[in-house]
Amino acid sequence: MNTRDIWRRFDIPLFAAVLLLCIFGIALISSAIAGNPTLEGHPKRQAIFMLIGLVALFASAAFDYRIWQTISKPFYIFVLVLLLVVFIMGAARFGAARWLETGLVTLQPAELAKIAIILSLSSFFAANISNINNWATIGKSIMLTGGIVLWIMLQPNLSTSIVILVIWATMLWICGLETKYILYAVLFFAVFIGLSFAFDFPYLADYQKSRITNFLSPDENARYGDTYNVDQAKISIGSGGWFGNGFGQGSQVQLRFLKIRHNDFIFSVLAHEFGFVGTVIVLALLVFIIVRCFMIAKEAPDAYGSLIAYGFGILMAFQTMVNVGVNLNVLPVTGLTLPFISYGGSSLVSMLLGIGIVQSIRMRSSPKEKGIAN
Amino acid sequence: MINNNNNNNQQYEKPTIALNRFRWVFLIIALVFMFYVFTLFDLQIIQGASFRAKAEENRVRVISIPTQRGMIYDRNGILLARNVPVFHVTITPASLPASEGKTYEIFRELSVLLDMPVSRGEVNDETSALFTPCYTDFGIEQIVEISSTLWPYSATRVKCNVSREVAMQVTERNNDWPGVDIEIDSVREYPTGENTAELIGFLGPIPEVMLDYYTEQGFVSGRDKVGYMGVENSLQSILGGTNGKRVVEVNVGGEILRDIEEPIEPVPGQDVYLTIDYRLQKAARDALVSELDIWNQRYLEWRGEILSTTGVVIAMNVKTGEILAMVSIPSYENNRMANYIPGDYYEQLSVDEAKPLLNKAISSELPPGSVYKMATAIGALNEGVIGPYDTVYDPGVITLEQKFIEGERVTMTQDYVCWYEIGHGDVDFVHGIKWSCNVYFYKIGGGYGDEVADNGLGIWRMNEYAHAIGYGQLTGIELPGEADGLLPNPTWKRLNQGENWATGDTYLAAVGQGYVLATPLQVLHSIATLSNNGQHMQVTLVSKTTDAEGNIISSFEPKMLWDITKDELIESYIGNNKTGEFKAVEPYVLEFAKRGMEEVTYPGGTASDLFEGDDKKIAGKTGTAEYCDDWANREGLCVPGNWPAHAWFVGYAPYDDPEIAVVAFIYNGSEGSAVSAPIVRRVIDFYFEQKAIDEALALPGGGH
Repeated sequence: MNTRDIWRRFDIPLFAAVLLLCIFGIALISSAIAGNPTLEGHPKRQAIFMLIGLVALFASAAFDYRIWQTISKPFYIFVLVLLLVVFIMGAARFGAARWLETGLVTLQPAELAKIAIILSLSSFFAANISNINNWATIGKSIMLTGGIVLWIMLQPNLSTSIVILVIWATMLWICGLETKYILYAVLFFAVFIGLSFAFDFPYLADYQKSRITNFLSPDENARYGDTYNVDQAKISIGSGGWFGNGFGQGSQVQLRFLKIRHNDFIFSVLAHEFGFVGTVIVLALLVFIIVRCFMIAKEAPDAYGSLIAYGFGILMAFQTMVNVGVNLNVLPVTGLTLPFISYGGSSLVSMLLGIGIVQSIRMRSSPKEKGIAN
Repeated sequence: MINNNNNNNQQYEKPTIALNRFRWVFLIIALVFMFYVFTLFDLQIIQGASFRAKAEENRVRVISIPTQRGMIYDRNGILLARNVPVFHVTITPASLPASEGKTYEIFRELSVLLDMPVSRGEVNDETSALFTPCYTDFGIEQIVEISSTLWPYSATRVKCNVSREVAMQVTERNNDWPGVDIEIDSVREYPTGENTAELIGFLGPIPEVMLDYYTEQGFVSGRDKVGYMGVENSLQSILGGTNGKRVVEVNVGGEILRDIEEPIEPVPGQDVYLTIDYRLQKAARDALVSELDIWNQRYLEWRGEILSTTGVVIAMNVKTGEILAMVSIPSYENNRMANYIPGDYYEQLSVDEAKPLLNKAISSELPPGSVYKMATAIGALNEGVIGPYDTVYDPGVITLEQKFIEGERVTMTQDYVCWYEIGHGDVDFVHGIKWSCNVYFYKIGGGYGDEVADNGLGIWRMNEYAHAIGYGQLTGIELPGEADGLLPNPTWKRLNQGENWATGDTYLAAVGQGYVLATPLQVLHSIATLSNNGQHMQVTLVSKTTDAEGNIISSFEPKMLWDITKDELIESYIGNNKTGEFKAVEPYVLEFAKRGMEEVTYPGGTASDLFEGDDKKIAGKTGTAEYCDDWANREGLCVPGNWPAHAWFVGYAPYDDPEIAVVAFIYNGSEGSAVSAPIVRRVIDFYFEQKAIDEALALPGGGH
């Protein structure tokens, strides 16, 4: 296949949806500034990160995704080193060390870790695809995952740890893991949760416990208390109505009743200012992107490509579901961002890089009869 | 297993992942997102209105702009109540310097100036919930910590009621101390203090039971104060004014961004000019206090205990019904309530047996004693029970056959004595009043054999006349807590005492004893009506009201309620039954009644000694009202046949064209003429002397 043919297989609808969401995200972030000087530079920064991410997207699309098979091991080690550095001398913010100050940008290695784990596990599972139902394979995959997750857990960053564990579990499952192992896993989790209750979740930090408690039994009288953020998110979403208050017009956003509105609660900004119709359109675009990744996974030329596309699909699906669930107050508060929309350079670049790799997979798979149209 | 089959089938092809598991992935995604869209629909569309209301609640704040309470003046413009500024030091947390070091430097300097610690106490959920500015033990740091979480953009009072000097120093350092300000508040001050406390009252926080009432009028609980007693209470709606209102948009920090609606400016309360002449008020109080001092001194020497601490003086313009002075002692220091009502002081006032918080001039129901004989007198004369020159014999003591029911067998007898034990002999109408002859009034009131017609006036008709001159009803004076007294009758006695009415009850009622009760104001009003030729005027305290610019809003006009010589108010009775026929009082009856009251201060009258040399033509009526209340009972004073007595005197002058009437009442004052009459005389003298001075001063300037 020559280069021109390859680019003909570039998934334009997928790219268009991603680009649309990124631009829309920047718009929402600029609305979320709401006169707060510390947020003022954020839309511009996000735009720069989008450009960086787009370069990464096209670059990774241009290269054959198989080169990641050779890069993934050094990449894994690179991320591991970053995590160790953050762990040792990371800056303390919000009671947790998650960022790496590089002078130019602050890097969040946990975001890179998601990509590293997808690439490494894809590589490992693809190599052992015929030998999945085997304790040795499973054990090795646990070691591979654990080597990274451990440091993220110690940050502590429970939500990213859970994302990575979910990626590991779902990848193992899609490789054809037998039901008995799944039953073992369920049994293990049951015992784990049971012991956790018995010992009052010793691995959770206090703020994590209180988030869960507040979710399970909110304090009705809390005005500025722990449920303030989710309460205000709910008010923001609910007051949006059919078409919302209009861009830059939402009182909850502009008068700053809604907190962390450029990041964790940007979905509430969207629902508040663009209403039910706007929100459903954005959700539909996200679902379209996710489904597209899974379709590409199904059509991929090899197990390695399938696993990468599937992994990114899971990553985006899980983050979207959790973030929206938190905003709708059906899940406890976590720090997961809404893909492409939430503010955050590391997250955006990682996601766009991921989309680029997925594009690369599609560009190198032959069209099938009942495959993806165009 | 599907997966195994897959693997087996594709064993020789390129190995692949379990593609058929994707349908579970799609299923889960479909279910989750459908659930989310449904939840969104529920929140945004179904519950949308309620969330929009909550968003509005966040955004919109209604601010009440405090108004100014009206001033209170006496009839000549002497200030009785005003607002004075007080200064509070406030901190707006959001405006403090960003640097913590600078902020603490301000705290330290402020701590020295305000003499309060930088840090004291511990902030936690409980203590911050109880935090009330001005009433806290926290240090500056703690107050700022609490307020910055609650209302960072609002000024919170750190130290209240600082001196003007401290306020000046804080204002001068405005540039060095960003966020620290002076809030100017106003408190009520009563320049005449205790001298007018019973009339003016004081302010206090909006009481819990009245919360809805005042909130509806736009008052803010915890900030605005309302009148508790006196005219501060009764004229609250005139004095209080109306708070202004701003509807503003605020952000999460409470910072005001803009007005959503046109602000409504506050309307200041009206200024009230009372009918009181403060000079006369002061003179009346001085007369009462000094007279009590003299008697208390004497009693200490005679009996080792004081006579009384409780008394009332009221002066009234008989032609207009204006109250010129109203003194009730003991009263209280209403200036001590200026900032807040001190619990211990209020408690002390509440438990005091002399009831300093009660305006006894209008709220105490007392036996009026002999003053009440005037009601019996005009009734008996008007009804023809006795002629003006008919005499009744007073042997000093009469024995009554008690009859509970008409025609009943005699069941018991009782002696009724005149205060003059050897008796006044033959007594006619004018001398009955002049000498205050009890037997005369027993006989014309309750009958005695065939000596008077109709077997006496009887209780029903007596009450008709008492009512016509103001007893047994509210005067409607603009003061809270007025009592209406009691005109007893057989029905009342059966219901309340469970006994039948006896002739002896009529005897006692005829001389203002027994069950009859009246307030000092009613007693004064009744004599004022007689002196004013039967014209019963509306009693009032309010001379005029003006707005803040001095424009007159309402001005007093004398209002006659009725004229007992013209309006047919007196219902006729046959026995215990009304006839439905009404009549007025014959003018000659009032002439004789007034003649009697003139004679009281003449030689031979009950108060003649005390009015020797009187040139103000004072007429009046003494009263020595026996009583036995809880206090007297406890003190062991209620000796049968020798009860303690209140001292009454009501006088008016000049008797040929009366313009002022004054009542003096001394609780447990023993004898009306000796104790109360001098007070009345001093007040009336002062009134006319002051009037002469005022007229002399007014003439050259041609003013007034």
